[in-house]
Amino acid sequence: MTSLSFTGIRKTFGTTVALESFDLALQPGELVSLLGPSGCGKTTALRIAAGFEIPDTGVVSLGESVITDTPAHRRNMGMVFQSYSLFPNLTVAQNVDFGLRNRKVEKAKRNSRVGEMLELVQLGELGKRYPHQLSGGQQQRVALARALAVQPEVLLLDEPLSALDAKVRSTLRDEIRRIQTELKTTTLFVTHDQDEALAISDRIGVMSNGRLEQLGTPEDVYLRPASPFVARFVGSINELPNSNGVGKILMRPEDITISENENELTMRGTVTRVTFQGPVTIISVRVDINDQLVNVHAASGSIHVQVGDRVSLAVTPGRGIVEAA
Amino acid sequence: MKQSRSQRALGRLLPTLVLIASAIFFAFPLLAMARFAFQNLQVIDLGWNNLFEKWSFSSITASFSDDFFAEALTLSLKLAVGTALFTLGLLIPTAVWVHLRLPKARVFVEFLTILPYVIPAIALVAGIVVVKPHARWFLNSDYSLIPFYVVLALPFTYRSIDTGLRAIDLKVLVEASRSLGSTWIATLFRVVIPNLRAAIISSTFLTVAVVLGEYTISDVLLKRTFPSFMAQYRQSDPRGGYALAILALLGTTLLFVAIGVLSKSRSTRPQQVSRSQENEILV
Repeated sequence: MTSLSFTGIRKTFGTTVALESFDLALQPGELVSLLGPSGCGKTTALRIAAGFEIPDTGVVSLGESVITDTPAHRRNMGMVFQSYSLFPNLTVAQNVDFGLRNRKVEKAKRNSRVGEMLELVQLGELGKRYPHQLSGGQQQRVALARALAVQPEVLLLDEPLSALDAKVRSTLRDEIRRIQTELKTTTLFVTHDQDEALAISDRIGVMSNGRLEQLGTPEDVYLRPASPFVARFVGSINELPNSNGVGKILMRPEDITISENENELTMRGTVTRVTFQGPVTIISVRVDINDQLVNVHAASGSIHVQVGDRVSLAVTPGRGIVEAA
Repeated sequence: MKQSRSQRALGRLLPTLVLIASAIFFAFPLLAMARFAFQNLQVIDLGWNNLFEKWSFSSITASFSDDFFAEALTLSLKLAVGTALFTLGLLIPTAVWVHLRLPKARVFVEFLTILPYVIPAIALVAGIVVVKPHARWFLNSDYSLIPFYVVLALPFTYRSIDTGLRAIDLKVLVEASRSLGSTWIATLFRVVIPNLRAAIISSTFLTVAVVLGEYTISDVLLKRTFPSFMAQYRQSDPRGGYALAILALLGTTLLFVAIGVLSKSRSTRPQQVSRSQENEILV
């Protein structure tokens, strides 16, 4: 039994193909992130789910029902947008009440639901304020409460954190995950921020050029990327020459270590930069074999090297992904 | 250094001088008109020495008692209300649709709406004269003026609504409303219109100003609107006619002041909470 599913979706805008052969099925209660660079089609997929775009071909289903052509207002989905979308003429409480009024819920129930939702997003005291009296983070919390108030079958989040600064973003990210887990609402989360996707998701769909490159758990996507694109897009990557001379091996910086031994499996190089980043220090080494720059992540304080030092690099066997030439 | 200071002083003084000169340029003819309308003196006797003598509202009170005054004013007010409603009913859905679905057509629509400003009302009148024999059933009604007034007011009203729509994030608000279960109609009435309050007020007042000032079309169609009444009344009582003109001018000015006040009250909201305050609140 799936919740929201896309089957064989194709969507074009003029001559631009936004989505091609797009298949995705969300299990009830899970949070799936669509991750990819700008223009990869992730937002188009979300807008198709919301009913704001109609696919050229393919089927969108919600449980057993096909909703491909169902108008947006009949889909029972909650959506939080990238930009602040609260209705400026309504108070916080009236914003949260908006969808409930549309569903003709009786007043007493509406009031209690609005209160519950505002408590859930920890803004119980601010019901009488107007959106312009709230911070960006508070506005997005209210938008979340508003979307959840109608008990949607699917919650759609369109980069809801991207307008916020780093500290608020991380707090609200954890908050979204807490609420989603608590309410067990099936959620489709669109983001271009890999840290966000890795931290919040049950599964991540990495997209490129309108196609789903890989769908898997955050560990799968990071540790076992299905393609060079996924390896490059999620996390940092080093491109090392293949020992047989054909193509490249893509390695994570943490899978390369500075070795004290020198043998046929190590590469020699010169340290060109040492960047302290708190718990991790990034050591950049220009390797002799192909003059490429290789980044190594080392626990800060564990290794003491300086710019100009000659070092040997060892790779963890079985962790690279081979990219054919 | 001294020179730059005097240049700065001149820079500050110059706009003030221009403003004073403009005020004089506008105020003098109005003052002359007011003296003609409200001072019980022969025109030949009007001079600086009797500037404050024999002012009276008798000319305007006499015009109020004319049989057709109330009728003409009522008709014009009815036409103003009708035109404003028709304009809003036509423009809001059209402008919303253009903003949401046809953003590339915005330039074309803007061009269309400015045409009544470019083409003089007399050209519209020429058109009316041609169709008049075929549309008497329509043109016989006083309210047949409404569509013409809607067209005449378009350059002002469309711009006002368009500016209002540009000031809000229309696409996101509409999509948020739709995702929360609103139909298009409900979205229009519960989300779009309440957030266009200032634009709607300004568009309405501009429409009223156009209706209360339009003479050409109503005269051709032989409708006794307030401007037509003023023109006719001026022929029988020039002082009363000009007194009415001043009254109309005053009414229009008050409408524009009201637009300014109401628009300002929308724009003087408290500032958005700053990022640093936000961190204090949330973390």
